[in-house]
Amino acid sequence: MGEAQKGLLSVIEKLKGSTEQEVRIVLLGLDNAGKTTLLRSLASEDVNTITPTQGFNIKSVASHGMKLNVWDIGGQRKIRPFWKKYLENTDLLIYVIDSADKKRFEETGLELSELVEEESLKGVPVLVFANKQDLATASPASEIAEGLNLHTYRDREWQIQACSAVSGEGVQDGMNWICNNITNKKK
Amino acid sequence: MAEEDSEWIIESIVGFLGSPEWLIPVMDFVENKCTVFDDEDENKLSYTDVHQQYKTLVEKLLENYMQEVGISEQQFLDACTSPFAKSKSLQSVFQPVLATDDFQMFRSLMAQKNMELQLQALRLIKERNGELPECLTDGVDVMTEMQQQEMKILQEVLQKSKEEYEEEMSRRLMSGEDVGSTSSVCSTHPTEGRAESNKSPDHTAKPPLSLQVNDSADTVEERVRSEPGSGREEVSSKSQESPKLSPVVSSSSMESRVLPAVTAPLKSSQPISSSISQAAAETCLEEARREAGFSKPFTELSVSQQEQLQQRAAYLRQQRDKLHALKKEQQRTKQNSSAGEAPPTLTAAPTKSPVNTVQEISAEERKKLQKRKHLADKLKEEVIRK
Ligand SMILES: Nc1nc2c(ncn2[C@@H]2O[C@H](COP(=O)(O)OP(=O)(O)OP(=O)(O)O)[C@@H](O)[C@H]2O)c(=O)[nH]1
Ligand SMILES: [Mg+2]
Repeated sequence: MGEAQKGLLSVIEKLKGSTEQEVRIVLLGLDNAGKTTLLRSLASEDVNTITPTQGFNIKSVASHGMKLNVWDIGGQRKIRPFWKKYLENTDLLIYVIDSADKKRFEETGLELSELVEEESLKGVPVLVFANKQDLATASPASEIAEGLNLHTYRDREWQIQACSAVSGEGVQDGMNWICNNITNKKK
Repeated sequence: MAEEDSEWIIESIVGFLGSPEWLIPVMDFVENKCTVFDDEDENKLSYTDVHQQYKTLVEKLLENYMQEVGISEQQFLDACTSPFAKSKSLQSVFQPVLATDDFQMFRSLMAQKNMELQLQALRLIKERNGELPECLTDGVDVMTEMQQQEMKILQEVLQKSKEEYEEEMSRRLMSGEDVGSTSSVCSTHPTEGRAESNKSPDHTAKPPLSLQVNDSADTVEERVRSEPGSGREEVSSKSQESPKLSPVVSSSSMESRVLPAVTAPLKSSQPISSSISQAAAETCLEEARREAGFSKPFTELSVSQQEQLQQRAAYLRQQRDKLHALKKEQQRTKQNSSAGEAPPTLTAAPTKSPVNTVQEISAEERKKLQKRKHLADKLKEEVIRK
């Protein structure tokens, strides 16, 4: 009965013919962090013609017997106030950081700390991608984790994963962590 | 719960989904809101609000119905999970309901309706005029050769300035400037073809959504009136797909956090044809500016850019007036005044303007022409062959 109280629409997914488990993942981070590049690389698509995102992109990726619906929202300052609209019913947050953009570590840290305060992300696992590790000036993931105070997170799973969305390195490791954590959490 | 109960409930809901109580409000909603839904790969932020409104509408309609008939939410839940509800034949009936929970399904529903209405509008124009006005057929039969030639020229211009741009970039690189963030911006690969394959198979394979009712003539007329704006819907997200080589864009390497003021109010002092209000003139101008892909407010553009925009604005306005006239004519056949004067040709002459502005426009034009051609092809299929 509990489910019915959430409103009629919460049961509508039951009408679907398929029984495949669907997972909603939201991909956030500052502009130029590499979110869209990561999204494309997850979908095994060309990553060479990407322009800054003015709205949002969605791709569905099959992984570990689940259907991951990944939402990539533009990260420009002007778009960030809209992030909130996309957080509801999110199963997992991926936060992408340009590891070579030290000047903006503070800015990205602030945005993340605001996000994890959001009611709709309560208890939602967070995967931080320390992206652009292919660049010589990239900071190591451990340093970034410290700067973000990830170790102070309570009541939520988190992980930081070094990666390069361009080369694909580290991306699969991150996805494996995601799938393990989702399957653990959802029935 | 007994299996028959579920069946009865589902059947009753299916019946409701075929009734005017459901179809009319849902169709109304879809037709009124579909105009912003284009076939770009990227979604606009505004889609989300529309989707939210749709959810609210559907929820309200279903709740009202269930209350009326006396189905409890629990019964509904049970019925929804029954095997009967999941049978293939019912899935298509449920699609408009499922679209509340599935953004991509919703989006394709809206985009499809948008396309449909555009086709209807074209068909209507064709029926009225015997043939399509030039502004809607160029790039198809009349223009093909010219268009091809133009494409060639455009391609060359694009190529040339890409080289120039890259030269400039490597020069800057040498001098140690930070250009990292523009590295992908200068690419000219068309992304159009890939757009389709991007979507997950689950969503591309869907049959047409079954929201078909006879569209009232009103809607079509509405549509005809708004048709001249067809370029308008492509504006914002589209400009990203086109190669961006103009100084406006390439300078964004350091400024990329600041969005261009897309809707900056325009205070044009230029007198524009007296037949329309100043406000309308500004809208046209603004539209032209966005359509042309200029990301600066009008007043900051160069004189030649301003001139181009004035031209485009005039063109858009003309198109709109014409379609507006067509609508009037339809309502009262006596008033058939200015329906058919020829519009200026669509494409800007690429060789006369400064190279950088040409690229922005020509890339836009190229896409628009492609889109038009696509649309016209469909039209041919649907109208001419039938
Ligand atoms: N060297 C390197 N560059 C990358 C990597 N990932 C992304 N980039 C580049 O970073 C730039 C920005 O990438 P996007 O994917 O557009 O960034 P975004 O986070 O989607 O940006 P917004 O859409 O503005 O929010 C592009 O030029 C990418 O090619 C990476 O792993 N290594
Ligand atoms: Mg992006």
